[in-house]
Amino acid sequence: MKSITKWLKKPWPYWVGGILLGLLNVILLATSGISWQITSGFLLWGVGILQLFGLDPFSWEYFNHFQHYYSSVIVEHNAFINKYTILNMGVIVGSLIATLMASQFKWKKIKSKKQFIFALLGGIMMGYGTRLATGCNIGAFFSGIPSFSLHAWVFGVFAILGAWVGCKILIKFLL
Amino acid sequence: MAVREIDCLYEACPVPILKAMKELKTMDPGDILILHSDHSCVGVAFNEWGEKNNYPIQVVEVEDGEWEVYIEKPK
Repeated sequence: MKSITKWLKKPWPYWVGGILLGLLNVILLATSGISWQITSGFLLWGVGILQLFGLDPFSWEYFNHFQHYYSSVIVEHNAFINKYTILNMGVIVGSLIATLMASQFKWKKIKSKKQFIFALLGGIMMGYGTRLATGCNIGAFFSGIPSFSLHAWVFGVFAILGAWVGCKILIKFLL
Repeated sequence: MAVREIDCLYEACPVPILKAMKELKTMDPGDILILHSDHSCVGVAFNEWGEKNNYPIQVVEVEDGEWEVYIEKPK
């Protein structure tokens, strides 16, 4: 137990994390039929919340286009409880266990109004961007490259460009 | 030799490293910069950056989930 804690306390080298993530993604794909993705779960939660307000996003053009992908969720009529939600819960519970075991759990405060507004704006832009790109850097990039999808490479190039632009904005306006 | 501190609590990557770079520019060789952070990858990021740019760096976990990074501006 003590050695596990010690292992969790210090950051792992990138290659250890990379190999582990790759292996776990293979196991996930073999057992559940989907590769690791995060924003699909958020998308469906968004749908669920809109349904509470009486809207029916599943009838929108977007889901018409991705019908083959979300059909199992659409048929079961439950936007909240599905395998994408379980996947996201797993990420949250897993990282919570890891931080607790390393005794590095900490509540974080919002530092300033500026940080809050920029985080909110960034979140909205990322959310919209993930839907246009059909995935985030996990779903579109990390899971897309090994499945030989061309869109993953396009996504990768633009993610790097975006990170570069983001850094410039950060240096100019936020420091 | 002067000692300066910057507070980077509740800030995520790459803000701590950018703030440190900006602050170090205004400091004299031999001065020490202490950076407070609670971002868990701060240690890796700073050690890597220090090694590349020849900045002596020490990272201390002062409290659970809270780190102090000591950076010396090279002479």
